[in-house]
Amino acid sequence: MDVNVIYNVEHEMHLGTLIALYFYLTGLSAGSFIISTFAYGFGMVKYKPLGKIGVVMATLLLIIAPMILLIDLAQPLRFWHLILYLRITSPITWGTFLLTLYPINCMIYGYFMFKGNLKRTKIFGLIGIPLALMVHGYTGFILALGKARVLWNTAIMPPIFLVSAMVSGLAMMILVVIVKDYFIQRGKEHDPTLIYGLGKLLVVSIVLDLILIGIDLTVLLTSHTEAYIAALMLLEGSFSHLFLGVEVFLGALVPLFLLLFPLTKRWVPGIAIASVLTMIGILAMRYIMVVGGLTIPLS
Amino acid sequence: MVIDLRRCIGCHTCSVACKAENRVPLGVYRSWVKIIEKGNYPNISRHFLPTLCNQCDHPPCVINCPVQATWKLENGIIIIDEHRCIGCKYCLASCPYNARHINPLIPIVQKCTFCHHRVYAGLEPACVEACPARARIFGDLNNPQGEVAKLLSKHPFQVLKHEMGTYPQVYYIGADLDAMDPFAGRKEWM
Repeated sequence: MDVNVIYNVEHEMHLGTLIALYFYLTGLSAGSFIISTFAYGFGMVKYKPLGKIGVVMATLLLIIAPMILLIDLAQPLRFWHLILYLRITSPITWGTFLLTLYPINCMIYGYFMFKGNLKRTKIFGLIGIPLALMVHGYTGFILALGKARVLWNTAIMPPIFLVSAMVSGLAMMILVVIVKDYFIQRGKEHDPTLIYGLGKLLVVSIVLDLILIGIDLTVLLTSHTEAYIAALMLLEGSFSHLFLGVEVFLGALVPLFLLLFPLTKRWVPGIAIASVLTMIGILAMRYIMVVGGLTIPLS
Repeated sequence: MVIDLRRCIGCHTCSVACKAENRVPLGVYRSWVKIIEKGNYPNISRHFLPTLCNQCDHPPCVINCPVQATWKLENGIIIIDEHRCIGCKYCLASCPYNARHINPLIPIVQKCTFCHHRVYAGLEPACVEACPARARIFGDLNNPQGEVAKLLSKHPFQVLKHEMGTYPQVYYIGADLDAMDPFAGRKEWM
């Protein structure tokens, strides 16, 4: 039976790219903070060169990220309402406090690290890990608790966000190390085993990320009508090029191949390409989640 | 509120009355009538679905607003404090009914309030008063002698997106499933 919609109203959704970018930057920040604690929190000496870069990147990114949120507000000058009139059921309120505490902790952690006070560095590093996880986990909750949007409203959203944060953070760290070793300190001798080690971690997190995306898609495909339509949108609708082409193929499968294939896995430019592709793939994933989720009509 | 679609003639008077009463800017609507046509000639029919904020009993917008700028009054109406709203648009993203909009003139979120100012003064909402077919009936569901309770006791009714667990307070009598389905007859967005 044919159905034609003669008249309907769809309100324009003023939310999208900026929020996706914000999620991406918090993910990068959380990822690089956790990598920075490998050496200073857990004593893995191999990753010691990453400690300082990690904490600087984490702090810088987490200073930029809330600025994007402020720009996205329709009334940026009323941002102080978030602290004065908080509502504890809203994930944005959780974020208000996490986004305040986390950069402060990052700075204290970084201060002690640069001072060389290893004991205090370790304490603040270990405090920072749950904070970093929560700062990025809460962005998953923002989407998961927006229950009108079927692509968002899934319990797997916070874990997907955490794993993809790890993926993009590792990829960014690999790039930072490559830039440091091969461009800034070109004359010095350097040891590529650090890059290979990070590459292995990247492989593990990409595989985990793919598994979580697969789980999400499987449930969407077999769940209720709206979920099925959302899965179709990703697989053959308007977001299929971005999802299958950029996020899954370029952002996960090609890097996996480059990092696992015997000829390329010890080839530094190959690892660099894999990292860039991974970062693009995760950015695409954030965009698909936020903008794709909002595209599905409600009325 | 009960909307009796057996009476609705699809004249859009409710939309116009709402625009006039609440000075709703161009481009956005707090109350509108969705119209669909279905079937193949000669077996065809046209169906209407007047849509507005459902004033949910469990409102996701209120739960998700980070600054308590929107809340439920004692009579069940959900209102917005225009001076407190920071425009984070999370309520827009949380509303399953597409009922909220950004005001293009002053950047804050607004929505249907069942004409709270009129209800407070003992009047009916503008759309209810303007409806020429008396398809909209406004009243207290908890008053067993009221028209709303009587209609809902006697007739089969529907609500929009019951599965969301929002307990919407706009009840439809005789609504068509295809009109209530956001995906029926729409492929272009995919």
